[in-house]
Amino acid sequence: MTSLIDRYVYTALRRVPEQQRADIDRELRASIEDAVDARVDAGEEHDAAVTATLTELGDPDRLADSYAGRPGYLIGPALFTPWRRLNVTLLSAVLPLVVGIVVVIQVLDGSTFGEVIGAAVTTTLTVGVQMLFWTTLIFAIIERTGAAKDKLRVPWSVKDLPRYEPNRMPVAQLAMSLVWPVLLIAALIWQQFSFSDVPVLDPANWSFWWPYFIAVLLLQCAYHVWVWRLGTWNRTVTAVNAALQLASAVPLVWLLATDRFFNPEFHQFAKVGAESDVKHWLSVLIIVITVVGTAYDIADVARRGERVRRGLPVKVTGSGGGYSYGG
Amino acid sequence: MDATLAGHLQELRRGTVVVASLMVLREPGYGYSLLETLSAAGFEVEANTLYPLLRRLEAQGLLTSEWNTDDARPRKFYRTTEQGDALADVLTAEWGRLDKAITDLDTTTGRMK
Repeated sequence: MTSLIDRYVYTALRRVPEQQRADIDRELRASIEDAVDARVDAGEEHDAAVTATLTELGDPDRLADSYAGRPGYLIGPALFTPWRRLNVTLLSAVLPLVVGIVVVIQVLDGSTFGEVIGAAVTTTLTVGVQMLFWTTLIFAIIERTGAAKDKLRVPWSVKDLPRYEPNRMPVAQLAMSLVWPVLLIAALIWQQFSFSDVPVLDPANWSFWWPYFIAVLLLQCAYHVWVWRLGTWNRTVTAVNAALQLASAVPLVWLLATDRFFNPEFHQFAKVGAESDVKHWLSVLIIVITVVGTAYDIADVARRGERVRRGLPVKVTGSGGGYSYGG
Repeated sequence: MDATLAGHLQELRRGTVVVASLMVLREPGYGYSLLETLSAAGFEVEANTLYPLLRRLEAQGLLTSEWNTDDARPRKFYRTTEQGDALADVLTAEWGRLDKAITDLDTTTGRMK
């Protein structure tokens, strides 16, 4: 039978590099036996002395980490900040973009509503978990090997502070507002030329309405860049925004209401239920979203313009809720 | 509150074991004997911290070691190197400086006397 001391020493040495084992084995045993002897001399029973000594030495795995000089953490304080910064960027900017592309592809592929939602949820989960896992793995390897550790520790300077200028849109927000029109234009062209043999939207509208929508969406991109460079909100911005919003919303609602939006040759809706019903409810849904979204956007931009004109405090972009500038 | 106190005490004591070990081991000693000496001198140190620490100091060239097999129980004896001796002097001087700086602080206002 192996003794308690043997079992302790073997367990600790299991996780110590091979070339150090023999030496640590001898030293650790001698130290344990010294401590046991001291306890026995003080009047304890031998077995009780062994138990007390080993209990005092504690978890052998931890002792092994200590001998081998291994850190007791996955990512240390030096690398934690770059790790968190990278993951925040990936999860808040790259992940929504990936999910958005997947949803667009699914919609163009003629998937049902349920399938699109399912794809969005599974993509969010799998891509999100993958992003977290791989960045963490790479950082943990860097933590242990030390390779490129200095390059990741970017020195900070006051230039890195965000500007927090009131009324000013951060570049990231500008990029996000440009992504949506570009995705819509891509979707419009894509659904005509690929994915399914029969386009989802009525090809007859290529004579005027689809090119018109592409032109309006491009104008909206130009509008966002213009507002970003202007750096403020005013009545001109409110008027231009309202005109552009209505220029896309009114024809869209009209096309949907008069049944000129979807391709009459496209029969995939029948998969979900009675074709006319599905088409009808989908049209109603898009009309509602368009009307509510447009109304909200026009009101929101008008409200901002009005607050700036009156010199009222405006929420500082990017500083989180509840913190106002100029109050 | 006890956890806060324990945390701050640990922060303050960190590093003192290194200085003490380098000073004690100017006379050769082995793991358990050093542990006894240190706790008798009032340093609270655990065996599972001290034994790996000795090997780390040896790897840094601050201690050397030699196996003594004359006794019935072979023991690894550590001794402070010249480099370790010099480091112990620097650390002791720093300890003295800190002690003086703390004593010089006016305890009620935190201002210099």
